[in-house]
Amino acid sequence: MNNNLISVKGVSKVFKVGEENFTALRDINLEIDSGSFMSFVGPSGSGKTTILNLIGGLDVPTAGNIFFKSTKLSAMNRNQMAQYRRKNIGFIFQTYNLFPVYSVYENILFPLLLSGSKEKDARERVMNIINKVGLSDQVKKRPSQLSGGQCQRVAIARALVKDPLLILADEPTANLDSKNSLQILELMSELNQQYKAAVVFSTHDEKVTRYVRREVGLEDGKIISDK
Amino acid sequence: MIFFLFRGIFRDKSRFLFPFSVVSIGVALVVALVGFMEGVFMGMIDMTANLNAGHLRLVNKPFYDEEHLYPLDRALAAQKETKRWLKKNSTPDIEWTPRIRWRALIDVPDANGDTRSQTPVVGMALDLKSPNSSEIRRLQLAESLVKGQLPQDSNEMLMGNSLAKDLDVALGQSVTVIGQSFDGGLVADNYLVVGLIRFGVTAMDKKMVLIDLADAQSTFYMDDMVTDWLGYLPSSLSFDHYVKAKKNINSNLNTWRENPPKDWAKDDQPIALSILDQQNMGSMVKTFTVIKSSVVGIFTFLMILVLWNAGVLSGIHRYGEMGLRLAFGESHWKLILTLGIEGLLIGILGSIVGCVLGGTFAWYLQEVGLNMGDTFAKSGLMINDVVRAQLTLGGFIQGIVPGIFASVAGTLVASSTIFKRSEANLFRELEAG
Repeated sequence: MNNNLISVKGVSKVFKVGEENFTALRDINLEIDSGSFMSFVGPSGSGKTTILNLIGGLDVPTAGNIFFKSTKLSAMNRNQMAQYRRKNIGFIFQTYNLFPVYSVYENILFPLLLSGSKEKDARERVMNIINKVGLSDQVKKRPSQLSGGQCQRVAIARALVKDPLLILADEPTANLDSKNSLQILELMSELNQQYKAAVVFSTHDEKVTRYVRREVGLEDGKIISDK
Repeated sequence: MIFFLFRGIFRDKSRFLFPFSVVSIGVALVVALVGFMEGVFMGMIDMTANLNAGHLRLVNKPFYDEEHLYPLDRALAAQKETKRWLKKNSTPDIEWTPRIRWRALIDVPDANGDTRSQTPVVGMALDLKSPNSSEIRRLQLAESLVKGQLPQDSNEMLMGNSLAKDLDVALGQSVTVIGQSFDGGLVADNYLVVGLIRFGVTAMDKKMVLIDLADAQSTFYMDDMVTDWLGYLPSSLSFDHYVKAKKNINSNLNTWRENPPKDWAKDDQPIALSILDQQNMGSMVKTFTVIKSSVVGIFTFLMILVLWNAGVLSGIHRYGEMGLRLAFGESHWKLILTLGIEGLLIGILGSIVGCVLGGTFAWYLQEVGLNMGDTFAKSGLMINDVVRAQLTLGGFIQGIVPGIFASVAGTLVASSTIFKRSEANLFRELEAG
């Protein structure tokens, strides 16, 4: 059985910066399996975030194609792309990007409401995931009342709550101290086993690379290693 | 989902308070200003209608053509028959009342009977002595009496307060009306000044006297004749209603002219006019409507401008949120739609508060009024010295609709910048922010 979730075929991405063209990715080919736990590793400007954006359907490649299962992302229109993200992708960010005016509970509820769920129907699901990330005593707090590690747990819960097939985590430990980073990685690893969602990191944090099962090295927009 | 978003708006005061305040203040200003303008203008219309124009007027065309000369010889005969005809040929909501407008000299004699003072006056004869006369109520004569009483016997007169001062006339003074009769002869008749009136309109207080219709018919030899029939409609009706009623009467008049009352002269030709046909009122109404629309339009435009800028600033502040929502799979259209609904909600709430604020101010001006007598003293305008605002449903609508429109339009114009941006751009700004 084909286990490919994402296929990246000959993808390049060129940005126009003023009069200059900046090539962020050059002829990238790779496949990501369902349930995988992997990272893109490389220095700043190596193309880590760009490849996450392309896979997440937030941007389109200049050349080449990305397939989600057998569906070509570049063939989708804006609405189909939004639906693709809504149903299949969870995002985790370096700066957490929680809604400051909403509580922990409401932040996690948001993706479900966006998918058309009613608040009362979604409540149990939200509370379950809050328990899983260990924030059951912080439900009503706002992000400003939480520590960085707690905020990232909320972000993880928010990414997982809609049961996506793929979670894209852009430098999720960059703003955390070592202890919190390790806790977050432990948690994500556990949840990856439990939820079977593929998790793709972009990182230059060595701690992350110790946890992942696959590490793709990027430099100047090219894959330099895949182990 | 939408209630969830509203929860966020109310918690984020920076997103809510500024546009809400702009809409509230804008709507309050429009409601108060429109109320004040309506009040002043409608006050002038009502005053003109009550005094001498009516909402509708039936008059002999030859009289109307030369009415600045007060040609009593062109008054309309057959008063009783005309009254019956008007009742039969117009809608029951119109109340018809006969008047004689006249002009004469008032001579005030001294103790020896020689002239002590004298001045030309404008006079109006109307029903002052019938029990429950609608004219007394319409011109608020009982309330306007400064001294004395309303006429109860023959040849009694009400005189403008300022005019009485100028002529040095006290209550109980006998004055002589010297004028021209219906058939062109000189008439002189004595009247007793029984009441001094303050109309509240400087032009009238200085020049006007009122006598009973029957007395005028006797003084000017106008038995069964009047110069005007004034028709009054309920004040809530629009100007369009006046025009419709006028057209209806004029079409019936054509038939009546074919078989006229025997006392009419051969060239008598009664015509129906609305207030809009008289004293340049039609043009004033048009000008007023343009000014009022311009004021509402300018305020709406300014509100849109401010809310647009507020929306852009708020939008920049919210690029992170927008990027996040797009990343989570909200479509551009849905995002813009929810922003539009946010604008609508803020517009509705702001409009409600604006209506309360503006309405309270306009209500105060309606009940208490603003005395502008000094300003109007030399203007000669037929306008009450105490101007009052007028609270109407239309005034509120003219505040609410632009308030909501400005809020939604301002938000949508600001949102268009989000619509044009790609997810990746917003996302990069989200990451940068």
